[in-house]
Amino acid sequence: MNEIALEGYLGIGALLFVCGVLCMATKRNGIGVLMGVELVLNGANVNFVAFSKFGTLGLDGQIASMFVIVLAAAEAAVALAIALNFYNNHLTIDVDRANELKG
Amino acid sequence: MAETDRPTTNQFMSVEQYLETAESLKWLLTVAWLLPLLGFAVEIFGGYWGDRHNKVASYLAVGCIGTGFVCSLIALFTWGGATHWGHPEEAVAAAEHDHAHDEGHAHDDAHAHNDGHEHDEEHAHAEEHGPEHDDEHAHHVNDPYSAAFSGSYYMLGQFGDLTVSLDYYIDGLTIVMFCMVTLIATCIHVFAIGYMSDELTDDYEDHFVHLPGGKHFHRPGRFYRFFAYLSLFSFSMLGLVIAGNIFMVFVFWELVGVCSYLLIGFYVERKSASTAANKAFIMNRVGDFGFLIGLMILFTSFGTFRFANPHPTERAVEPGLFQMLRGEHGDLHIHGEGREAEVFLTTATGDHDKSIPYWLLVTAGLGIFAGCIGKSAQFPLQTWLPDAMEGPTPVSALVHSATMVAAGVYLAGRFYPMFTPEVLLVIAYVGCITLFIGATIAIVATDIKRVLAYSTISQLGYMMLALGVGGWVAGLFHLITHAFFKSLMFLCSGSVIHGCHHEQEMTRMGGLRKKMPITAYTMLVGVIAISGLAIPYLTFPFIGNIAFSGFYSKDEIVATALTHMSLNPVHFLLFLVPLVTAGITAFYMFRLWFMTFAGEPKDEHVYDHAHESPWVMTAPLLVLSFFAITVTWGMQIDEEGHLKPGYLVNALLTAEPAHVGEGLTEAGILGLSLPGHHAVHEYHATAGTAALIAAFAGLLISYLIYVNRAIDPAGIARQLSGTYNFLVEKWQFDNLYDAMFVRPVHIVARWPQAFDRNYLDGFLHALCRCAVWVSKWDRAFDERVVDRLVNLVGDVTFAVGRSLTVIQTGRLRQYVMFIAVGVVALFALMFVFMPTL
Amino acid sequence: MSDVVLLSLTIFAPTLGALGLMFFEKTAEEAMRIYSLVVTVVTFGLTIVMLGRFDPSLGAAEYTVAFQMDSITPWIPAWNINYQLGVDGISLPLVLLTSLVSMLAMMASWSITKYVRGYLILFLLLETGMLGVFMALDFFLFYIFWEVMLLPMYFLIGVWGGPRREYAAIKFFLYTLAGSVLMLIAMLMFYFNSAGSALTNYESSFDLIKLTQLAQEGGLLNREVQLIAFILLFIGFAIKVPTFPFHTWLPDAHVEAPTPISMILAGVLLKMGGYGIIRIAMPLCPYGAQVAAYTLVAIGVFSIIYGAFAAMAQTDFKRLVAYSSVSHMGYVLLGLAIWQVDRLTGATTNSDYWHMGINGAMFQMLAHGVSSAGMFFMVGVIYDRVHHRDLNQFGGLMQKMPFYSAIAVGIFFAGLGLPGLCGFIGEAFTVISSWSYSKVMAIIAASGVILTAGYILWTIQRVYLGPEYKGPHPEALTPANSRENTVAVVLLVLAIFLGCYPWSMFSLMDESTRLLTESLAQGYEALHETVEQVSSVTTGQ
Repeated sequence: MNEIALEGYLGIGALLFVCGVLCMATKRNGIGVLMGVELVLNGANVNFVAFSKFGTLGLDGQIASMFVIVLAAAEAAVALAIALNFYNNHLTIDVDRANELKG
Repeated sequence: MAETDRPTTNQFMSVEQYLETAESLKWLLTVAWLLPLLGFAVEIFGGYWGDRHNKVASYLAVGCIGTGFVCSLIALFTWGGATHWGHPEEAVAAAEHDHAHDEGHAHDDAHAHNDGHEHDEEHAHAEEHGPEHDDEHAHHVNDPYSAAFSGSYYMLGQFGDLTVSLDYYIDGLTIVMFCMVTLIATCIHVFAIGYMSDELTDDYEDHFVHLPGGKHFHRPGRFYRFFAYLSLFSFSMLGLVIAGNIFMVFVFWELVGVCSYLLIGFYVERKSASTAANKAFIMNRVGDFGFLIGLMILFTSFGTFRFANPHPTERAVEPGLFQMLRGEHGDLHIHGEGREAEVFLTTATGDHDKSIPYWLLVTAGLGIFAGCIGKSAQFPLQTWLPDAMEGPTPVSALVHSATMVAAGVYLAGRFYPMFTPEVLLVIAYVGCITLFIGATIAIVATDIKRVLAYSTISQLGYMMLALGVGGWVAGLFHLITHAFFKSLMFLCSGSVIHGCHHEQEMTRMGGLRKKMPITAYTMLVGVIAISGLAIPYLTFPFIGNIAFSGFYSKDEIVATALTHMSLNPVHFLLFLVPLVTAGITAFYMFRLWFMTFAGEPKDEHVYDHAHESPWVMTAPLLVLSFFAITVTWGMQIDEEGHLKPGYLVNALLTAEPAHVGEGLTEAGILGLSLPGHHAVHEYHATAGTAALIAAFAGLLISYLIYVNRAIDPAGIARQLSGTYNFLVEKWQFDNLYDAMFVRPVHIVARWPQAFDRNYLDGFLHALCRCAVWVSKWDRAFDERVVDRLVNLVGDVTFAVGRSLTVIQTGRLRQYVMFIAVGVVALFALMFVFMPTL
Repeated sequence: MSDVVLLSLTIFAPTLGALGLMFFEKTAEEAMRIYSLVVTVVTFGLTIVMLGRFDPSLGAAEYTVAFQMDSITPWIPAWNINYQLGVDGISLPLVLLTSLVSMLAMMASWSITKYVRGYLILFLLLETGMLGVFMALDFFLFYIFWEVMLLPMYFLIGVWGGPRREYAAIKFFLYTLAGSVLMLIAMLMFYFNSAGSALTNYESSFDLIKLTQLAQEGGLLNREVQLIAFILLFIGFAIKVPTFPFHTWLPDAHVEAPTPISMILAGVLLKMGGYGIIRIAMPLCPYGAQVAAYTLVAIGVFSIIYGAFAAMAQTDFKRLVAYSSVSHMGYVLLGLAIWQVDRLTGATTNSDYWHMGINGAMFQMLAHGVSSAGMFFMVGVIYDRVHHRDLNQFGGLMQKMPFYSAIAVGIFFAGLGLPGLCGFIGEAFTVISSWSYSKVMAIIAASGVILTAGYILWTIQRVYLGPEYKGPHPEALTPANSRENTVAVVLLVLAIFLGCYPWSMFSLMDESTRLLTESLAQGYEALHETVEQVSSVTTGQ
């Protein structure tokens, strides 16, 4: 079986990561940003799993990725709640409007 | 006597008798001494809170001192009985009679049996020689300790082997002085009751103090205070006499000084009085400075202050100064020559393990004598005494003629064994100069009290001279006789002053003998006595010659001086000056009497108001004049001109230091010879005649000038105006001292003041200014450098933060971009700098 | 009551009393004064109890000091500091003097009307400090009490003083502080050098008894260090004595201080300098003391003459008395330092005379405590009435205030050194004993008697004698009241008692001073011998 090498996984992970970052950077919609975050996390998950297979991490990599998934879910829940609240207050979810932390 | 022997009894009595006598003498004299102190305490407090009009204080004072006299008199007879009046041969006779069976044992036995039957070497010696010679003094070495008693009252301090205590020393001299002081003091106390009676008031007007408003000064009377001071003085004076060590002498020396201060300054409101008091005290302190040096030397070299320890069994164990210095014959153990000379001391161990350099001994003697100079108003410290006449006249009579000023002579006599021939020569010359200065100033003085004051100085000079030329008895004998006739004359002058309402100028008196006969004739007794007049070669049994006391004592002095001159022809002045001065003395004393009592009244006002004093004042005059005549009774000059001593002289002779009687030949570094008794006897007739001629010459001149008016005194004064003014100005001593000491001291006193202010404080202030300057600089540094640096750091931090707010946009997406870019940049950097990774 | 309780109570009774003052109404000034007087009387009573328990004949068998009623309680164990008290024949008379003068000064404090409560509190604290200094046997404790005394004094002068009080108070404070700094240095020198002996258990110690014993054996400091330590200590104490040239704080402090404080200052504080020298400087540095002896004598003698001359030039009554203190305290230094040794063997050659000198110096301290306190009080009495002190504007007080003047003349005579009064014994004994040390110095010191007589008599003449008072406020010259008379009479009676019966004090001191001289002589000899050995070795080579 012609197995896919580590570089393939890492390439996918990097692609996902870059997409996520770009998504975060470009989307003005808060939900969109959240989605970008998910992409970044998943990119990292791919890397974990890949290293668990090819590297020395072993099962730890998979457990780490499981943690990340759980964390992403929790984070999404919190973030969506924030977004909802934000929407309730500002009638928008445009993150550019959320500039009250400006220094 | 044998040198090996330490007598266990002395020539007069056994040990038990000795101790018994010592105890009774001690108590008698202690009572006489301390009663006036008690009187003082009662008088000063009782008087302050009591009534100013009553005379209780004076009665108390008289009672105390009178009781003291009685005690002294009993002591005199106790002592005389125990010592057979200083006639050892009588003692021997008595002892022989009592213990005839014991005679065989009259040998030296070192162990005391204390059974009263012991004969000692001295005894044996006296037995051997005494009856065979008609003149015991020429051959007999006097043992002054055999008729002396000593002991301790209480201790002031004890440091290892050194003890400082209050002791008593009682010998013939002490007792004679006690009797003299208490008797004269009693008379003067009584006199003062009358003299000071105008103080018995609540409102005394002092005519000598002028207030700015032109009024006289008023104050409450101070009768009680006067008598309190007199009592305190009597106490101090008796303490001085009874003192058994030189330190105690110093203590009472100062105390009589302060009493004198209080009495001279009795009229405290008078500036002249308080100044005179200060002068007296300070000049005495100058003398005491020397005294103190003497004390230091003696105490350091000898380790004791005690004069001597005459106790028959203990005298070798705890020897006093005299016993340490001199052997039994009064000789010094000198070793070495010139500056190296040392005197070995006899200590308790008997070995010569202590010594004192000869020059130090001379210095110590001179130091002690310096004290005597101050107290006895000798040259060059004589100027305080005339000023001291500011005090009330009874004070002048008691303190400044009879007793306190004589204390210097007394001490010189008491301390005689410690004086080397060099010191004696100094004493003689000081006395010689003093007696001449005093007499010459007295010629021109017109204040009646000042004449007497200068005459006192002059007579004290005689005493010192006598001691200096080796006439131990002569000097002290004159001290006693002088005390009587001088206090008599002072009281007479007091009576005159009192009668003339405080007029003291003789130029305004005259003819007063009609107004106050008792005063005048008692005064004449004194004048004759001091002039030394006598009718020679006419003697009566018991009474002696027809002569007053002064004749004998002055005769004795001049005779000793003549003998001294014959032995040491270089020092001829020591005979000529006193001889001439004897004439001057007669002159000025008769001048005083003629100007005051004889002739015509010069000031009608004074004359009209003059009156004889009350009996309370004249009675003491009579008593004193009686003693001025009779105190020397029993003395007589026999056909060959030899003087036979009377009771008084015999009493004094028992206390005479051992080395005096025999005289000295070529002694000391200067090779001075001192006449012994025998030598003096040879010259008595010559000297006596010469002195008598001088005295009569003085009397004659005085008579010619002031009674006969054959010579005009004013004319002489004009012709010799230079000399006259020099004498009136008291030889310029006051001005000289003022320029030499008083003013320089005041100037020097300003130096420490200025030094403190300008240098020490100046330095301190400069230091403080420096400190302040440094701290100011420190503050500037803090403010300008340190603070600024800190502020700068803060400022920069703030500015950076402020500038970074720009990138804190609050835009989420931008932050993400920063993160991304940052991560990329980080990785890029990692790859650049750590390519191996 | 055990000894330690007695001593502690004596020291702290005034402090407790000061606490009690807090409970008074602010306006109840009279009550507070009476209360404070009672406190000082009680303290005096306690010192009398101490005197009763003291056995003057008791000397420690082997070592230096005959301390009695001594006790040690650890205080700061980490540094081996103890709360250690005790008295001997040297300190007991001074303790008595302190409590007595404090009592009399308290009686004289009725003239203080400003901030009475504060004054009384400070006064009582001051008394605690003074008593503590005399009873402390631990160097550190001594130092603490020394400083404790300083601060109340500063305020007492600085708040209740005359017109230039700030200047005087600061001057006093700075001088004394400089002295205590020097003392501190010396103290640490002893502390860190004391660990090398079995006597101190190989620990550093502040224990004065042990340090003295160590010094007696020659094991405390070597020769050079001893000399340095002695100089430091001497300057520290000489400031307090005060001797030339450290004396200029004294006239200012006296002039500005209120009368009772002047009494304390002259009567007690100056004695601490002398006490410090005799208790600490000399026993701890016997070698240094011997080497410096001639300097000490010279300083003492110079102070005598200098103070007397300066006193003569004063026109301010209080300044005059202050300078007379400088003069009189010179005798103390003179008496302490006349220690002659044989150059070859190092043996003391004049031990009896030196012993006499030390006793004389001690007596002079007591006598001066009585007479100068009296003199300051006498000045204060008239200052309270006429509010000036210009000597040239007095006169005739004998007429207006006869009883007061008589007592005053008596007390001034005590200062003059008249026999029968206290000043004489101290002066005469020190001067007479000093001949054995140096003839020149003895002669100069003796000449002081003339100057003293000069300025005192001149003062008496200008102030008390004469027909009438020349200055301002003649109407205020009322006779002294009974409180003032009591103070004056007590002081005069004491002056007479001490003057006539000095053995009362000498018998207390004698044993202790004898031990002191022996200890010092041994301490010097120990080091002297080593010097000889060293030099003989070097010459042998």
